[in-house]
Formats: sequence, C-alpha cells, structure tokens
Amino acid sequence: MNPALRKLFRKNTPDAAQLDAFIHETGFPLVDGSDVTFVYRGQAEEVFLRCWIAGLDTAQPFQPLSGTDLWAATIELPKGSRIEYKFEVINNGNRQLILDPLNEVVARDPFGANSVCQADGYERPEWTYPNDECRRGAIETVNVGSAAFNEARDVQVYLPARFRRNRQYPLLLVHDGVDYVNFASLQTVLDNLIHALEIPQMIVALTQSPDRLKEYAGDERHAKFLAEDLLPFMSERYPLIDEARARGIMGASFGGVASLHAAWRFPGVFGNLLLQSGSFAFSDLGRHQRGPVFDPVVRFMNEFREQPGCPAENIYLSCGIYESLIYENRSLVPRLQAQGLNVRFEEARDAHNWENWRDRLRSGLSWLYPGPLWFVYE
Amino acid sequence: MSTEQCMRLILGPQSPAHNIDAAMMAAGLPEGTFATITAGWQEAENDIDTLREIVGRPLVDLRLYARADDVFRTDEALAAAHRERQNRLKEQQRLYRLRLKQLAVAARHTLRADGDAAMVAAEKRHAIAQLRALDRHHLHRTESIGRPFGEQFNVTSSPLLARHHEEIREVINGCSVVLISGGNVAVLLNRLRLFGVDSLLANRHVVAWSAGAMVLAERVVLFHDRSPQGRRDAEIFGTGCGLVSGHVYFPDASHRLQERDRSRIELLCRRFAPDTCVALDNGAALEVRNSRVATAVSVRRLSRDGRIVRLRAA
Repeated sequence: MNPALRKLFRKNTPDAAQLDAFIHETGFPLVDGSDVTFVYRGQAEEVFLRCWIAGLDTAQPFQPLSGTDLWAATIELPKGSRIEYKFEVINNGNRQLILDPLNEVVARDPFGANSVCQADGYERPEWTYPNDECRRGAIETVNVGSAAFNEARDVQVYLPARFRRNRQYPLLLVHDGVDYVNFASLQTVLDNLIHALEIPQMIVALTQSPDRLKEYAGDERHAKFLAEDLLPFMSERYPLIDEARARGIMGASFGGVASLHAAWRFPGVFGNLLLQSGSFAFSDLGRHQRGPVFDPVVRFMNEFREQPGCPAENIYLSCGIYESLIYENRSLVPRLQAQGLNVRFEEARDAHNWENWRDRLRSGLSWLYPGPLWFVYE
Repeated sequence: MSTEQCMRLILGPQSPAHNIDAAMMAAGLPEGTFATITAGWQEAENDIDTLREIVGRPLVDLRLYARADDVFRTDEALAAAHRERQNRLKEQQRLYRLRLKQLAVAARHTLRADGDAAMVAAEKRHAIAQLRALDRHHLHRTESIGRPFGEQFNVTSSPLLARHHEEIREVINGCSVVLISGGNVAVLLNRLRLFGVDSLLANRHVVAWSAGAMVLAERVVLFHDRSPQGRRDAEIFGTGCGLVSGHVYFPDASHRLQERDRSRIELLCRRFAPDTCVALDNGAALEVRNSRVATAVSVRRLSRDGRIVRLRAA
C-alpha cells in the first residue's frame, strides 16, 4: 500500500472528516518512487483505471479500501514516465468514463481530455510554456486551390515575429497543424525556440485534413496536394529558401505516414522529416491485425520497406515506449539508416498523445532546423 | 593616430552585469563622441539608449545592418551576387563540418589514449596537425569563395557602396572611439566587410565585446558545447578583421564551453596555437596596445593541460 494511504489507515478506519482532510491535503495520483497509486472516492460497484499503455491491461481494477468510499489502484511507472488516463466507474451496471476528480492536470486532444499522471522525474519542459519575453509569431489563414483534391482548402500559416519579406525562410508543412497548435502548444514552442535562437525564424504551414484517416494513409492525392499544390502556393506567396534542405514535413500518427509517403513520392523535394509516433504498420507475413483503416498504410509501408529510396536527407523520429507502435518505429530506423540517411530516433516514456509529441518538438525541430545560436554571442 | 597608439579594449558579454563603463574609465579612453557598430543585433540595431546611459558619452550608430538592407534593395545585381556568395559559403561550411566531425572525434580519442608515451604523443601531434590542416584548408576555401564578390562589389567599384563607405568614414573620423557590440557574429562580420569598415578601424581606439571581440581577431571560431543537440566541435568561420593578432576569442566561455572536459579544452588550445584561446566571460576586460596585452581583468585562457587559467598581462 502507498505510504500515505498506510498512514491514513494506520490506527483506525478513517472517518469522513479524516478522509476529507486527506483528500484536501494530498496531491493525486500518489507517486512513491516507481509506484503510482490512483485514488477514487465515491460509491461504485467497480472502478477501473483506463490508461492505454502497451504491455499493460487496458483496464486496471481498483480495490475498495475497507470501511470507506475510497478506491485505489497501484501500477508501476518507471522514472520520467508520463501517461494519460481516465477512470471507468460502474454504478448500477452503467459504465462511465470520467477524468480523475482528484487530479487537476489534464491534457486535451481532439476527442476531449484525459487526466495526466506525471511519474517521478517527469517535468513539463519550460520551453512549452508561454514566455512573456518572447515576441509572438502570427498565424494567418490562406486558401489554397488544390488540383489533387479538386477543391480549395484553408491552410493556416505561422509567420515568425519580425517577419520580413526581404528575407528568406525555411518552410515546414505540418499535418494536423491546427491540432498541433491547440493540443501540443506548437505556436508557443515555435515562438520560444526562435526566441532562444535554437531554431531559425521559419514559416510553418498548418494543414488540417477533413478526412485524415483516408488522406493520410498513403493517399496519392494527398502527396500531390503537398508537393504540387501547397508547396508552389507557399513559394509564390512567401519568401522561402528554395532548397530541399530548407523544406520539411512533420506529422504524428497517421500524419507521420502522410509525411513519409509524400516525401517518398516526391524525392528530393523535402529535405527534412519530423515523424512522431508514426503509424508505420507493416506485415512481414499474413494479414496485419490493426483493422481495415490500416490496409492502405500497410500497403504503402510494405512497398516502402521494399524500396525506401531517399525520401529526405534528414529524418527525425520519436515514439512513446508505451505505444504499440514502438515496434514499427524501431523497425523503421535501421531501414532508413541503411539508405545512408541522417536519422535520429528518440523514445519517450509516454504514449500516443499530443503532449508526448509536444515534449519532443524541441529536439526534433532544433536537429532538423538548427538555429542561429551557434552564431550569436551577446 | 598610428595603429601602434590605438587601444583595443576587449570585453566579455555585457549581461547580466556590464563592465564597459568601468573598463573604459580604467583604460583612460578620450572624451568625445563614440561611434557604435551594432549590426550584430540585426533588427534591433541602433537600439542604443541603454548603452548610451551606461557609457555616458554621445553615441552615433553607423547603422551597418540598415545600410546593407538599403543596398540589397537598391542594387539587385549586388544582392543576387551576395546571396550566391553566402549560399556557397554555407555549403563550404557544411562540407567542412562533415570532415571536421570525423577528425575531431579521432583527435579527442587520441588525446585520451593510453599506452607508450612516446608513441601516443606522436599520434596526438599528428591528429592535431590533421585538424589544423583542415582548418587552414577551410580558411583558404572561404577566402577563395568570397573573393570574386569582393572584387566585383567593393567601395571603389560600386558607387552605392562608395557613398555609404564615405558616410561611415566621416562619422568615424568625427569620433574618438568605436564601440562594437556582440550579437550575430556572421552578420556583423559580413556588414563590416561589405562597407569596408574594417579598414577604417585600424587607426581608431576600439572597444568591443563578445561577437564584436571575435571579429577583431585574425580568425573567428564558432563554438557551443551546450546547444539543444549537445556539444559540437568548434569551427573556424573565417578570417576576422585582424585588428588584434595572436588571440582567438571565446565569449561567455563559462556557459558555452564544457570546462570540465579537459581533453576538449586541450584540443582547442593546441588546435588554434600559436594563437592564445582567450575566454571572455561576463566581467572580463582585456586591454591590448601595440599587439601586447597591457592589462587583463578577469580574463582567462585555455591551456595545454586542459584547464582554463588566468591570463596575465605581458
């Protein structure tokens, strides 16, 4: 039992007032070295911890603490881990997924929000917080005609602070770009890293697909949209450095697949790829087990693994250790390295979520786009 | 005033605490208006109100960064040629870095090697000699790449550059001292060269800090052991203005260098010898007269035994 709970129950079963005081004075979940104890207070038939960690059962049962309305579940989380979770509370046969009422730390994503458990040693990076000393970049919306999709699409464009038309800038195309801004603090991170001279002033196109599971899954039209519609549009409208090494694509999950696919279909166009938790499912033998939405991904990845070519000179990959995709991502690294590409791969004690991707932005961006820090001596 | 009579007052970063005022007073710089070169601050160039308060003298900024913008806007051929040269220099720096990476790793391993002392010493010498040869080659290449632009567009061939050069010369002639701030060393050096300012400084008292100090030396060396991607090997960037000989400057060394890595410090020291690698931290002040160190306050140098030790005046 967690030491704080053991102390609470040391003499007698605590009464309601003691429980109230305990809840009021204690931060949750309870972290004791590598043991993390989640606590729920309330009447229920059953309570489960839902945390989507590869290698753990999806639902971890809570145990009632005798004579009280407290429930507790303990899991082992190595130092530096960060996971997202919910509680599943069952009352009268009804299952309800809820945020941890005792934990204020929450991560949002396009589907809502999750509670966040920060294990011993995890600290949210300072450069992900807004900094009043930084000048902020601006985001404007442009409408890009697409021959590939036979329609026009809105794209948001990040322009760095002190943007000047007589300069030339590197370009980054970001899949799920609006989500990156909303859920992974991308604009704040760009502002901060540019201010710290860790990345150069750059222009970032934030794309958002209306049907990402289809368009990002190795879809030819999407690759053409990036290379033949969006890139020429951006080059025409903004002062960009006209070199592959100053151009890059970024994406997470299916966005990682879309990034790799577009660079592979148009070799020599994009010099940099930033791929986070890419859904790089493949099959060596027989059918894959990931469901029909992955069929086109697996087709592409199998083809890619046969003939990887040179999608980009520099490729940064990151993946959470607690995601099932860690296997596919680890497998991809030696395949890329064998092509003579510059590859950097980072693993994090985190899972498939936006804050994992946020926390890796500094290392990925500053590796692909090193800033003028090297040249500045104040 | 002859070059020999001119003082070079070399300082470390002016934050978190500034020492320019105290160092200038100690050096006994003359009264009068000072010219400032703040092109390293780029868009913040000429933002000199705070500096004016600290220095307590009338200041006039030479606005080299803004002048360059004006030139690039006005003369398209010059701008295109300049961009082409910069792209080639970047490419050269990239190629140099590719080779440097391997040689520097080999040299560091060799410096840490155990075994027969005489045999190891011979390999160390050769490993460092290889690095020095690469540095020389790179300097030669950067000079070669830069030369055509300099020959085609200079203060005698281009009326536009000549006009700016003349304006700058007049300002400098009316000032007793030139101050050169820190900032982006590449931008600063580029603008000094574009307007031929380096030649105007030879017979002037110059006070310079950080990047400003770096450009006064004969060689400019880029370094940072604590960047987000971890440490990188120091790189020769190019030749400086050569107003101070025998030194290579390492501003903010206590933050930017991993001082505890003695083989790394030793390598830097031996790689750039016979020049002295001078560490300029906040509070450092080095007065150079007639190519000799007249005074040195809180100035350190990198030593062959891998430590950073106090630099003493001659």
